[in-house]
Amino acid sequence: MSKPTDLVQGTLDLLILKILALEPLNGWAIGQRLKQVSDDVLQVSDGSLYPALHKLEQEGWITAEWKPSENNRRAKFYSLTRLGRKELEKEAANWNRLSAAISRVVKLKEA
Amino acid sequence: MRIKHWFYTMPLRLRSLFRRAQVEQELNEELHYHIERQIEGHISKGMTEEEARYAALRAMGGLEQRKEECRDMRRVRLIENLIQDLRYGLRTLRRSPGFTAVAMLTLALGIGANTAIFSMLEGVVLAPLPYREAERLVALLQTRPDNPRGSVSGPDFQDWQRDARSFEQMVGMKWLSSDLTNPGVPERIAGREISSGIFSMLGVNLSLGREFSSEEDRRGGNPVVIISNRLWQDRFGGSRDALGRSVTLDGIDRTIVGVLTSNFEFWGEADFYTPIRQNNLPFMDDRTVHSGIFCIARLKPGATIDQAKSEMTTIQNSLNRLYPSTNRGLGANVVPLKEIIVWDADETLLLLMGTVGLVLLIACANIASLLLARAEARSAEFAIRMALGANRMRLASQLITESMLISVGGGVLGLAIAKWAVIPSLVAVPLNLPRSTNIGVNMSVLLFTFGLTIVVGVLFGLAPLMKSSNPNLQGSLKEGGRGVSKGRHNVQRSLVIAQMAMTLVLLTGAMLLFRTVRHLWAVDPGFNSQRIITFKVGISPAMKKTASSWRTAYQQLTERIQQIPGVQAAAFTLLVPLSLGGNSAPFWVGPKETTSPIEAPSLQLNWTGPEYLKTMEIPLLRGRFLTLQDTLQSEKVIVIDSILAQTYFPDKDPLGQIITINIWGAARIVGVVGHVRLAGEENRTRNQAYTSVYQLQDDWVPVMYPGLNMVVRAKVDGAALLPAIRDVVYGTGEKQPVYDIHTLQEVLAESITWQRLHMFLLGAFALLALLLAAVGTYGVITYMTAERTHEIGVRMALGADRWNILRMVVGGGLRLALIGTAIGVVAALILGRILSSFSHLLYGVRPWDPLTLIAISLVLIGTTFLACYLPARRAAGIDPMIALRHE
Repeated sequence: MSKPTDLVQGTLDLLILKILALEPLNGWAIGQRLKQVSDDVLQVSDGSLYPALHKLEQEGWITAEWKPSENNRRAKFYSLTRLGRKELEKEAANWNRLSAAISRVVKLKEA
Repeated sequence: MRIKHWFYTMPLRLRSLFRRAQVEQELNEELHYHIERQIEGHISKGMTEEEARYAALRAMGGLEQRKEECRDMRRVRLIENLIQDLRYGLRTLRRSPGFTAVAMLTLALGIGANTAIFSMLEGVVLAPLPYREAERLVALLQTRPDNPRGSVSGPDFQDWQRDARSFEQMVGMKWLSSDLTNPGVPERIAGREISSGIFSMLGVNLSLGREFSSEEDRRGGNPVVIISNRLWQDRFGGSRDALGRSVTLDGIDRTIVGVLTSNFEFWGEADFYTPIRQNNLPFMDDRTVHSGIFCIARLKPGATIDQAKSEMTTIQNSLNRLYPSTNRGLGANVVPLKEIIVWDADETLLLLMGTVGLVLLIACANIASLLLARAEARSAEFAIRMALGANRMRLASQLITESMLISVGGGVLGLAIAKWAVIPSLVAVPLNLPRSTNIGVNMSVLLFTFGLTIVVGVLFGLAPLMKSSNPNLQGSLKEGGRGVSKGRHNVQRSLVIAQMAMTLVLLTGAMLLFRTVRHLWAVDPGFNSQRIITFKVGISPAMKKTASSWRTAYQQLTERIQQIPGVQAAAFTLLVPLSLGGNSAPFWVGPKETTSPIEAPSLQLNWTGPEYLKTMEIPLLRGRFLTLQDTLQSEKVIVIDSILAQTYFPDKDPLGQIITINIWGAARIVGVVGHVRLAGEENRTRNQAYTSVYQLQDDWVPVMYPGLNMVVRAKVDGAALLPAIRDVVYGTGEKQPVYDIHTLQEVLAESITWQRLHMFLLGAFALLALLLAAVGTYGVITYMTAERTHEIGVRMALGADRWNILRMVVGGGLRLALIGTAIGVVAALILGRILSSFSHLLYGVRPWDPLTLIAISLVLIGTTFLACYLPARRAAGIDPMIALRHE
């Protein structure tokens, strides 16, 4: 299984949840949006996106629905569930704690 | 939180499992949508369509791998694998129907037998008694040196009731049977005399009416009765008016105050209950008579059995000090009520359970060796699967699934066999098990069978794993190493040895019982048991019940029966030879009671009519037998048997000597007769004596006479006389039941039912085991020989002849049999010890009987020889040229 090596472990879930919190999107659009909002810094490989989506779906955090997409073809749209929203809050809080801690460490002056 | 989570995710899992095609199609569509959009994007940036497609697929990093990862996320992999294994397993089993049928049937027999015996163990021994807080119910026993489960004498019982503090309540119960003469046809029915309050102590509700009051439970209380549901339906059509009406028992009209529920059962069957203190028979006040009062009590909350036991011992000891002449030597014991109701049935059932357990083990060993052989035949298949990436766990789960399929099939079949074949037939035979109505397939039995099925499935599923869990991939792919296969089949060899040992144990057990039964049949009963019938009669309720009227009635009845044409002789007797009853009485040599009755030796005292000796054709050795001239007016006389004479008068003439019988008094010995076999006498006194029913003191006549049996010797055929006998009995009065009719041949057969039944069951199971072991050995030897075809070809090419090959194969099998036999003999010796510790199961045969062991060993080795001979002959017939080309 190819891991999102360019992402801190587990953050892909957080990113997906956050993006879906804004609006329901299909898999391809999620990938595009990730690139867009992170100014192309966060490159999620197409390969790792779908297993992650399926995992979140099986956890009951996101739910899927088949709808016509922008180009009028059937696509699988994911949206956040109530459970997913709670999970997002939890993971976002975790992330904030973790990143704050890491930046404090990084800012330490060398003696 | 967790539950709520499941609420969301469960439908998803179910969908993944059951709508797999749709889920797969959606996955496909989703990924393709992604690829298409990427291609569109790439094209718009100027790539050619082909370049765009490659770029999109490359970014995905392998479409199929991504799909597999998505599938992993569904969390139903385990189940999917299981389903796959099940499908594959079913297909494999279907492909070899012969193997499947043999394996399942073998197992079904094993599980069926185990389920049936367990259902008996559960119903009789394990299930709690159906009473309120049954764990606090206990039985109080009065113990004597020769009887650890004795009943208590009437006065001691009352002292116990007065003094004991460990119990919430203590009640007495006494067995009796009475002539029911109204309403309906006369019938002898079983009943109990009970203390008031027994039903509320048990926590049992009556279906109608009430219990006895303590006012009724006393001498001279109103004659009342509680009847069983059966009697109520039979005699009163289940009508509510039955309350307040009366039934006539032994000539006394008793008013019905209560009716029990139909499912009430307490320590054997009973149709009526009367208050125990209304019993005004003389022995109720006699401390030396322990005539059947069993004492039941409910422990106070928090009181333990040990506390109760030590309190009862203290009470009994002080009673013994108070009344040394009657009580010295007595003890008291407290046991859980269930233990006393189950009596010795648990021994029997545990023995049977052990037997069928061994049979099941043998069946498992069989299936294991079959599976092993298959596993080796399939080693190429396993090697290919592993080469294709199946890991060891997957392979193991595949094998376990297959063996589980067999065991579940066998289990279901076995349950069916148990429910519809074994249990009904076991319940039908006269096992005399307590609580036998409780036997059936209930939840615990189902659980047991289920557990057993799983355990055996894993057990023989593991056997092939031991072999294939570490397969030599290369070797297996090259189609098995050639050459001598010594040491490769150690598991199979051990299985054969184990089967042999277990079979030997079972056969030995069966053989010991078989020889016991033969001894019991063949043993001289001490009289002529041909053409004798025995029965009991009730006495007309119209008869005035004085002692002398009893005596006259019985004498007249005897004379009338003797006058029936075809009757050779007839007499009353208390004890029927070979039947289970007994009348043990303490005695002293000389005219005085020199010790307490507990410490005195005892004899079986038989009250008979003077014609008894002639009727039974018992040899008279010295002096004379009882005569009609021995009456209350003449000197008390007694006739003793040869054993008593030899033991107590070894070097003087017993004739004219005096012995003293407890309660009855001193009597002069006037004759010596041959010893007669009474059932169960291996465990009790063998001394016997005869006294005349016409010398029995007045107050004992109403107690003893209803229990007397009439024995009649026919000139030709006993059964043909029955109508005439009935006419004579009915002719003497109005309503008198004639009951307990048996020929002595029946009594003889009945007396060894116990041993015969054990013999039959153990024998059947042992034969089953022998058959299974033979099949198993045959299978293993055949398989091992087939594997050595190539080797045998080489040997023959090098000059071995048919005889050498035959000897090699048979010798190999016999070696296993010999080792198995040696182990089995040791185990059988241990089993013999166990069997002989069981209450009177073995007779006339030692548990380590060498003849039995040698015979069984020979049977086993002979069977092995046969099982090996067939494959050996086949091997010897091998054409070396063909064998050498054999793969």
